[in-house]
Amino acid sequence: MTQALPLARIRVANFGWVWAGPVVGQTLGFLGAEVYKIESRARVDMTRTLPPFAGGVRDPDRSLSNHACWAGNGSVTLNLKKPEARTLARELVARCDVVIENFGPGVMEGLGLGFEDLRAVRPDLVMFSMPAAGLFGPLKDIRTYGLSLTSTTGLDSVTGYAGGPPIPFENAFSDPYNGILGAFAILAALHHRNRTGRGQHVDYSQQEAVMQMVGPAFMDWVLNDRVAGPLGNRHPAGAAAPHGVFPCAGDDRWISLAVFGDEEWRALVAAMDDPEWARAAAYASHEGRLAALDALHEQLAAWTAGHEARALAERLQARGLCAAPVLGIADLLDDPHWRARRTFVEVEHPLGFRETIYGAYVKPSRSEPAVRPGPAMGQDNERVFQGLLGLAPERYAQLVEEQVIY
Amino acid sequence: MSEGALAGIRVLELGEAVSAPYCAKLFADYGAEVIKIEPPGGEVARRWGPFPGDRPHPEKSGLFQFLNTNKQGVTLDAGRPQGRALLGALARGADLLIENQPADRARAFDLRWEALAEANPGLVMVSITPYGRSGPYADWRGCDLNAFHLSAAGHRYCGRPGEAPLEQGTFAADFFGAAAAAAWGLGALFGREVAGGGQHLDVSCAEAIAAAFVGGQNIGAYAQDGKWEHRTGVGMPLGAPATILPCKDGHVWMLALEPGQWDGLVKVMGEPEWAQLEMFRDMFVRAQNADLIYPLIQEWAAGYGKAEIMERCQAAGVPVTAVFDVAEAASHPHLRERGYLVEVEHPVLGRLRDLGAPFRLPASPGGPRTAAPLLGQHNDEVYGRLLGLGPDELAALRAEGVI
Repeated sequence: MTQALPLARIRVANFGWVWAGPVVGQTLGFLGAEVYKIESRARVDMTRTLPPFAGGVRDPDRSLSNHACWAGNGSVTLNLKKPEARTLARELVARCDVVIENFGPGVMEGLGLGFEDLRAVRPDLVMFSMPAAGLFGPLKDIRTYGLSLTSTTGLDSVTGYAGGPPIPFENAFSDPYNGILGAFAILAALHHRNRTGRGQHVDYSQQEAVMQMVGPAFMDWVLNDRVAGPLGNRHPAGAAAPHGVFPCAGDDRWISLAVFGDEEWRALVAAMDDPEWARAAAYASHEGRLAALDALHEQLAAWTAGHEARALAERLQARGLCAAPVLGIADLLDDPHWRARRTFVEVEHPLGFRETIYGAYVKPSRSEPAVRPGPAMGQDNERVFQGLLGLAPERYAQLVEEQVIY
Repeated sequence: MSEGALAGIRVLELGEAVSAPYCAKLFADYGAEVIKIEPPGGEVARRWGPFPGDRPHPEKSGLFQFLNTNKQGVTLDAGRPQGRALLGALARGADLLIENQPADRARAFDLRWEALAEANPGLVMVSITPYGRSGPYADWRGCDLNAFHLSAAGHRYCGRPGEAPLEQGTFAADFFGAAAAAAWGLGALFGREVAGGGQHLDVSCAEAIAAAFVGGQNIGAYAQDGKWEHRTGVGMPLGAPATILPCKDGHVWMLALEPGQWDGLVKVMGEPEWAQLEMFRDMFVRAQNADLIYPLIQEWAAGYGKAEIMERCQAAGVPVTAVFDVAEAASHPHLRERGYLVEVEHPVLGRLRDLGAPFRLPASPGGPRTAAPLLGQHNDEVYGRLLGLGPDELAALRAEGVI
């Protein structure tokens, strides 16, 4: 079925790399934009070098995680160290609505691809820059990875077992988060452009965007001068007790369970067949349960430990409680809910192998995207340089030969 | 003063707690007209803290204030026919409807896009729920915690082996779902003429994380090789150092993977002899010997404060950062110079600090200008201006408890 997607008329040049930048383009791609990753064999994007590879063959076009993160992006290869490549990049940008980049401040300027350079060829351009801490300010040149960026926002300081030290989150949660929110920022700027005819240079500080997630703890500091520490799985506003992850039968099996209010507490007690310990007076009110949370969680854990996680979740759901199994990686492909929603899909890569990536994680009633894996390097070179930019075939071949298109 | 980027968009929010309110706040902070609809008793976040002095008060929730800046607030009881009629009338004039009602209540409120779209074919409706509106768990009850841990994010990436998987100490799933809903919702709205009209977007907070975060890194590998990793409690398993370590006055994110970064760290540490050992050769070998290596680095870090470690490492090109607590993060001169922290005047809480716009649009500024609405603060204005209701009609609706 062919249908127009909402961003069908938007073209994007994506200079992004690693993870956050790709996902910005991917999000716009899911919505129908025509997105091109601008990359080069002269400096291969790190995510193309990460294992595992399709069929175990180490090749920049076969990195499986890369194909998930870059889904929906096309690819052209330009060795931006060469002046002719930078000229071609500017010519491509002249035909684009949006430029995405996630280098440090000044890198694009150094390549002759700063906002002022690009605005000269595309006056209503929306340029989107997403350095770690924004385009100006004392920390603008800070070096971070998405993994550690969260430490500068306060988020890591509230992550860990209650009362213990901060525990590192072992992958860059902030990267896809910023990638998706970054697409919103671009769409806001495009909306502004539609009304006024003016483009702009979006200064997206990943630090500031992620710090919004710390808003609840920030407000406690503002209102009560209280500085939060690691919270475990406790409710960030203290509104539920119990509220946590409890062990179940099996190896590394757990259930998440939250109890809001006395009625739900009584439902839980009934589900547990009314054990003696749960009748303690201290547990009769939310305040009492909150004050005795550690003991309550311990007693509850002793009960959950004898149950299978999914069966227990179903039993608690039947009583109207917020409960769900805690899934691990190995559960995701088999879980009936994610299967029903087609969260993960098997696709055919243009190079001829099949692989599993994630599909449209938002379900639109009208604009269902076609899910394509991340691109092979330079797969769109001919279409872009000969088709869109109108290079004669001989000239194109010459630029490939000279490793400008490379 | 230029108006916000999203001026001209009218948003209805039928939200509670975090996900839909934060999604709608993103629109409000960039200039959309956002009307927040609450039940006559107020939405649940008004009963969630933090409250000044820990004394609950429906107009003093810091969480509610943070999530609802720049909005107008009205009340209506969507459980009653008259309330549903008001909701329908408001939806006829809206571009976007953002809601996160549990499945049973959404049915009771008759919150169906097909029905609303009959009167307003351009309407984009965004539903943000823990599990989504379809699939076997669609009718399950859930909150942020359940959604987060249904994604495998905690099980794989946070916590010690043998101990409970952890969520970050915030509403991480709700924020993630809100961001996804905002991006896809604005996209659908931006291109609704191209796409042929409005539509319904079904957002599951759990699914957004399971796909875009966990799926982005792990799913291809698992599907192909059947292999997967557990959380380690230590940090990145592939390379080292990549972990949080204690120092003299707190903790630092100790990260030095690439050769130049490692050399920089060794220099900052005063070129200790042990750093020349074979087990420090590259990030992979270092990771295999993390048990031996981390105590040595930690011993050095114990002699210095986190700010000093960060400053000296950054100067040497090493991406080490201090683990700021919330006060340190919010008080940093960098954020002051960028104007990230703002002040708003709240009618009950008084003048208070707030976090500013999550990103900067130079040509069309954003961020909080007005505080969260009091309960029903804009009933007269909104119902009068948008639906043409006069004082008598409003009085009757009030008397019957509909608003």
